[in-house]
Amino acid sequence: MEKKEVLISHYGPLSYEEIGFLLNKMTAILDRYAFGITVKKKVYAAMVESLENIYKHQDLITGNTNYLPKFNLQLDDKYICLSVSNSVLNGKIFALKDRLNKVNLLDRNGLKEYYKEIILSGNVSQKGGAGLGIVNIAKVTENKLDYTFDEIDSNHSYFTLKIKVLHNTTQL
Amino acid sequence: MESLYIEPSEFTPRVFFDPVNSVFEISGFSRPENVVGFYKPILKWLEDYNDLVLSKNTEFNKSNLVINLKMTYFNSASSKFLLDILLEFMKFHSKGNSIEINWFYDEDDDEILESGEEIADMINYSFNFIPISPNS
Repeated sequence: MEKKEVLISHYGPLSYEEIGFLLNKMTAILDRYAFGITVKKKVYAAMVESLENIYKHQDLITGNTNYLPKFNLQLDDKYICLSVSNSVLNGKIFALKDRLNKVNLLDRNGLKEYYKEIILSGNVSQKGGAGLGIVNIAKVTENKLDYTFDEIDSNHSYFTLKIKVLHNTTQL
Repeated sequence: MESLYIEPSEFTPRVFFDPVNSVFEISGFSRPENVVGFYKPILKWLEDYNDLVLSKNTEFNKSNLVINLKMTYFNSASSKFLLDILLEFMKFHSKGNSIEINWFYDEDDDEILESGEEIADMINYSFNFIPISPNS
């Protein structure tokens, strides 16, 4: 049976400082495992983009504490796995799925071209989102992104994004 | 014109734009909480620099501008602004000023090297890629 170790588990509101705290914790843990700089930077980039997406775009449900932001970092023999969840308005699902499906169809060069297309045409919103986060995660991690949307009520769903970073090429 | 100096923080890079020596440097880590608030004043400074300094130069007295980028990490929102800053410099280039862009990177850090190559491709201009040994 595949061995999976939980490195970090977080459930609750995400502030900017909390994201910094989780990033520092991840860096310290991956240092302890003596991962190379490339693996660490890939995990770092995926964590920043996914957690900042929650920080900037989460749609919290007032009075409901069952669907707060959730983050897990796990290690198995081959991958470092990130799982990131937050509540979103159902009206945003179509656009999110559209972008996720598009990046999953593209190869590395295609992702670079798509990133270039967005960055040269898009404007950064007042929240600081440039629409680049998901594309950047796919580009950096070089793996397909798994996702689910679980309906909470008529207005909200719980969005989970699963990201994998290969750390052991001998297991391929 | 006054130089622009921004002290680095845990989440933001050091910025030093020196109009006297025509050297412009951004170095360190970039994940500002308010990315627009951090980078907009830098772009505004470059606009003023163009109006107050470069546009006053005669045809025979164009500037040689050196841009040193020594980033260790930047998030995607920051990459948009780094690109906007370099596009400002390319405007100066199109007006006859020479531009040298140096992209410094930790020699073990493929990610930051590749980010530099992608940005060079986006602005269609050659960078000097300069590896830094971690022990240097």
